[in-house]
Amino acid sequence: MSATAVLRAVVAELRVAGMLAMRYRASFLAETVMSFGWVAWTVIPLLVVYEYRADVQGWTRDQALLVVGLFITLEGLLGALVEPNLRAVVEQVRDGTFDYTLLKPIDTQLLVSIHRIQPTELPHALSGLVVVGVAASRLDPLPGLGDVAAAALLLVAGLMLLHGLWTIVVATSFWFVRVDNLSVLLRSLLDAGRWPVGYYRGIVRFVLTWIVPVGLITTFPAMALRGQLQPQLLLATCGVSLGFSLLARAVWRFALRHYTSASS
Amino acid sequence: MIRVAGLTKHYRTPKKAPGLLGSIKSLVRREYETVKAVEDVSFTIAPGERVGFLGPNGAGKTTTLKMLSGLLVPTAGEVEVLGHRPSDRLPGYLSRITLVMGQKQQLLWDLPARETFELNRALFGVARDEARRTVDELTELLELKALLDRPVRNLSLGERMKCELVAALLHRPEVLFLDEPTIGLDVRMQVVVRRFVEEWNRRTGATILLTSHYMADIAALCPRVIVISAGRLRFDGPLQDLVRRHGTDRRVVVAPVREPTPEELALADRFQRTDDGKLVATVPAADVKAAVDQALRALPIQDLAVEEPPLEDVIARLFAEQEPAA
Repeated sequence: MSATAVLRAVVAELRVAGMLAMRYRASFLAETVMSFGWVAWTVIPLLVVYEYRADVQGWTRDQALLVVGLFITLEGLLGALVEPNLRAVVEQVRDGTFDYTLLKPIDTQLLVSIHRIQPTELPHALSGLVVVGVAASRLDPLPGLGDVAAAALLLVAGLMLLHGLWTIVVATSFWFVRVDNLSVLLRSLLDAGRWPVGYYRGIVRFVLTWIVPVGLITTFPAMALRGQLQPQLLLATCGVSLGFSLLARAVWRFALRHYTSASS
Repeated sequence: MIRVAGLTKHYRTPKKAPGLLGSIKSLVRREYETVKAVEDVSFTIAPGERVGFLGPNGAGKTTTLKMLSGLLVPTAGEVEVLGHRPSDRLPGYLSRITLVMGQKQQLLWDLPARETFELNRALFGVARDEARRTVDELTELLELKALLDRPVRNLSLGERMKCELVAALLHRPEVLFLDEPTIGLDVRMQVVVRRFVEEWNRRTGATILLTSHYMADIAALCPRVIVISAGRLRFDGPLQDLVRRHGTDRRVVVAPVREPTPEELALADRFQRTDDGKLVATVPAADVKAAVDQALRALPIQDLAVEEPPLEDVIARLFAEQEPAA
């Protein structure tokens, strides 16, 4: 499959997603406005806490705001790219129209990842980045170019991790069919990534960093922007996410060979 | 073109005793049974052929089509289509075939059909002007020009099926797998789809493998039929052979000028009255003369005809004969 074929597929799917999202004007506007509401909802508690203390577990307000901003970005990307696709695939497997997806001459894993993009969630992701930008501009010292690059790399690695996790969840739907609950679980776990993992102690911190890599996804990029992330940790994170993506792909291919298709 | 040898597909499905108690039992200790959906089926199909796939519900028709199109991996046996092994699902294979399922739709429900065509065009990598030509040709053949800009959810079942066909044929596949393409359509629409499939085969030389519940589809479209039942191949050959071999009976049909008297009916004891007032005798081919003689002697005839039995009866008999062996 050539790069142009992939690009063509992505553009075509985005086009459809845009048309579907804009089909009801009122709901398009409402969803966009709602997503800003959620940003405020996420930021305000943090500001309240820091009214009373200058420092929580070694994180100042602006440093913690980095984590919150990254969390909002992640939430937006999840809502735009991951969750709607998950719901769509599970639905397709259940009613059998997944057959048509399998019949397209495009890699199926790619196709199901872009099949139902929710563009109204993208402003949410964007406003997360704005929060990160504002918080970063108030840091002292300001993050260097290398720090920003490291943070961006970590964000991508985090997304790859989530995508891998999500792929495995979808693959299990070939056997269990109903997995939408898993997406709720996934979302609740991610909620823990709202605060720096440093807020948590002992076993919880360990679990959130390495078992369910939520902390890794939001806290590590924030640490990179603070210039506090050791290079080994950066490498380890990229390695883990690459490895996990490959594992997810293997699971996916195995699952496809055992797909039984809903009978007609 | 299509070569199938010893094709077999077994499913393992949980077995459950009836009722709530059965459900609880199956939760604790699940028993499985193996369903033999397709068992040792072999055939070959030449380029450009139109082949009808016949069999009762659950015979394994759809499962076979799914294996041919690469959706399912066979348990055993070999499949080769266009030089590919379908289950590899290589883009080079998928872009040369299509599968239309009468009971599943790929059209985007909330958008006009045109948008699904555009999406498929991009996914199959068809050039824009080539796609436009194909869509024009298909919409003309199917007479649906005016419908392309209406949201799919506002179309009738028949109109949707036409649009499904366009979406499925946009990349001009060389092999068409059609699984019950006329299901649920009214008679007129069935005829439209049937004529279309025949015309498309003539124009493009595409190979067509078709399953249908409606014998009329098969009779009109497919010079060759493959009959499977309980997963096994029962017949493979020209439709006439199937009728000749299993349909040796003839129907002698008499339309009377007036209501026959009880005495006349008693004399014509081979005949039975049908709902529309006709008198019909179903007899072996060798007895046709005797039946006709009897009718001429005993009945007030306005019209008399000797017919081959309907295909439905032939098939029903074929399955009835072979079911015990399965």
